[in-house]
Amino acid sequence: MAWKAIDRVNAPAEESPSLSEPLKEKIRGFFDRYPTKRAVLIPALHMIQDDHGYVGWKAMEEVAELLEITPSDVFDTVSFYSHFWTHPKGEKVVMACRSISCDLLGADRVLDECKKVLGIGDHETTPDGKYSLMTEECLAACDHGPCLMINEKMHKCVDPANVRKILEDDANDKLDIPRSNLYDGANRTSA
Amino acid sequence: MAKIILNNQEVETREGIPVLQAALEAGLNVPHYCYHPGLSVVASCRLCLMEMKMPHPKTGELGWAPKLMPSCQTPVRDGMEVRFDSDKVHENQERCMEFFLLNHPLDCPVCDQAGECHLQDYSYHFGKSESRMVDQKHVTPKKDVGPRTLLYSDRCVMCSRCVRFCDEVAGTGELCITNRGSKAEIDAFPGKPLANPMQGNVVDICPVGCLLDKDFLFQQRVWFLKSADSICTGCSTGCSIRIDQNEDHVHRLKPRFNPRVNQWWMCDEGRFGFKYIHDKNRLTRLKLRRGESFESLRWESLAETVRYRFEDVAKKQSDKKIAVVLSPFMACEEAWLLVKTIREVAPEATLVLGPVPTVEQDERFPVGATNGDTKFIIRKEKCPNRNGIELIIKHFGGNTETFDAFVEQAGAGEFAAAWISGGYPTEWVSKDFAKAAGKIPFKVVHDLFGSALTDEATLVIPACSFAERDGTFVNATGVVQPFARAIKPPQGCKRDGQFFYELAELEGLYQSPTVLGMMAAEIDEFKEVYVPPQLPEHQH
Repeated sequence: MAWKAIDRVNAPAEESPSLSEPLKEKIRGFFDRYPTKRAVLIPALHMIQDDHGYVGWKAMEEVAELLEITPSDVFDTVSFYSHFWTHPKGEKVVMACRSISCDLLGADRVLDECKKVLGIGDHETTPDGKYSLMTEECLAACDHGPCLMINEKMHKCVDPANVRKILEDDANDKLDIPRSNLYDGANRTSA
Repeated sequence: MAKIILNNQEVETREGIPVLQAALEAGLNVPHYCYHPGLSVVASCRLCLMEMKMPHPKTGELGWAPKLMPSCQTPVRDGMEVRFDSDKVHENQERCMEFFLLNHPLDCPVCDQAGECHLQDYSYHFGKSESRMVDQKHVTPKKDVGPRTLLYSDRCVMCSRCVRFCDEVAGTGELCITNRGSKAEIDAFPGKPLANPMQGNVVDICPVGCLLDKDFLFQQRVWFLKSADSICTGCSTGCSIRIDQNEDHVHRLKPRFNPRVNQWWMCDEGRFGFKYIHDKNRLTRLKLRRGESFESLRWESLAETVRYRFEDVAKKQSDKKIAVVLSPFMACEEAWLLVKTIREVAPEATLVLGPVPTVEQDERFPVGATNGDTKFIIRKEKCPNRNGIELIIKHFGGNTETFDAFVEQAGAGEFAAAWISGGYPTEWVSKDFAKAAGKIPFKVVHDLFGSALTDEATLVIPACSFAERDGTFVNATGVVQPFARAIKPPQGCKRDGQFFYELAELEGLYQSPTVLGMMAAEIDEFKEVYVPPQLPEHQH
């Protein structure tokens, strides 16, 4: 073509990880919890994202094969939910709220500080692959703005002056209450 | 049957069909994008919203419901009252059109769909001439979604017809909707492109210029095209098609609605299989052998030559046979006229049905469908009229042979003369056949392309392709369907029907309905000809 068009005829050039056999087995372990294999898609995507950090083209294709649906169905679902990543992200994702309450309380200065400390822009990843930065619409803690979320850990009432300290803390994504192991029990049955 | 009140007028319609369908059938121009009668209903475009009378929840009194209802998703019930002509409905249509055009690039001058685009039509009829959008338009990329199809996301109205087609009719599900809300786009998985054998239909059902055919891209402005209603000759399904041509050049084939045969669809094999019509190698000269070489023959002397030569053979070599090989690409009328002529001069002539090109098996859609839920079949017989020719052979009776037996007997030198009609789009003369035909001293070969057969023929008659002919085909299920001519034959050719007409010593111009009438007087099967109903004017 003489003009630019996204190529869907050829397979993507970039490499992406395959599903490992234990991961596949873990996904299969969910089949009997749902009436159809298609219904296992969302849990499967969570498991893949937990394992790979994101859901790549190869993983989408393989999970489609596993669930007996078309790869385009998987692509449809992955892209619908903005919290599924389709490209590699950093080990830790810093989400800065930019909604009205946080904004009034100085979220823009927090975001600027994050950019300065990490040396990256919005929706970018640091060269060492440690941090990704993105903005969120609302983190559901408007009374404690400005908010920052690192992976699943919420930081409330963030002072721009403290941003460097937070980001340099290795345990900044450690949860007070451990996360539910919904997707960890491979062969847990509904009974 | 159900009676509903539509815009204050009583309309008779069918119970249970969508109100939108009833309104379209009643001749109303109700705008719609996502509704297609051949697909599931999603009610996502919101253009066909209507007002409906409903009982008041407290008093039970009938009155116009405050909310607008999607007419595509509301089934007709006897006695219901709806309207499309109120201010509320018009206001909704205007607002919807404004939203549809928010990010539209307005590139109609370079868009193939311009002229048959429902964004243009609806914007003109229901929209506003100005956009209030002051922000930067959201620009989405073009996508190369398949080997034959391009997707211009920026023109898309997200009706999801193409996605539903791939899921429900083709059964292959290559297309999907990615992202969400205002960022939603149609897309295909990289490396799994839109390549099913029915994919051309997504271009037809796309109401705007989003999905375009690479084959037709930038070839013609659609308002220059002239159409003729024809039948696809790709297989024995016999889909109703429309041939779009300009200046005697066929640019594209489109399916026509036919509830008994192809519904709204056609396959790619048929859609793109017409290119041989404009092949430079087609035979275009009527020629007669004189010794080792050929000399041109005037069309005016054809009838006389053929009749005289066949009569001569029939009289002088009564111990040897005469054959007429009828091609399954011939129209019934043509075959009938030919057999009538030859049987007049040589009553013992043997009738043979030419080879029927066949592949292994039928292709059913949706992929994996069984008998009950099949929506479309690409048949294994790759010719349009085997059934019709068989009917004609059966009617004339007398000496008949299968093609294989004919080849065998011809190889043994039992035939003194033969009329061989071809007209196959691909090479069809096998080595055995060519060798056997070499033993027939007098051969008239009527074909589209040159072959070993035409090299050895006594008389070579250039045939016309289906776009240049008119007549009747009988499809695999026995539906007798007429087809019309779209273009003039190439220079040097004469329309097959016309010279067969002259051969049969009938006066005037060949008109297929006239000949069909004569046939129907003799053959019962041709009494009932099926012409599919027209779609309502505003349905698309």
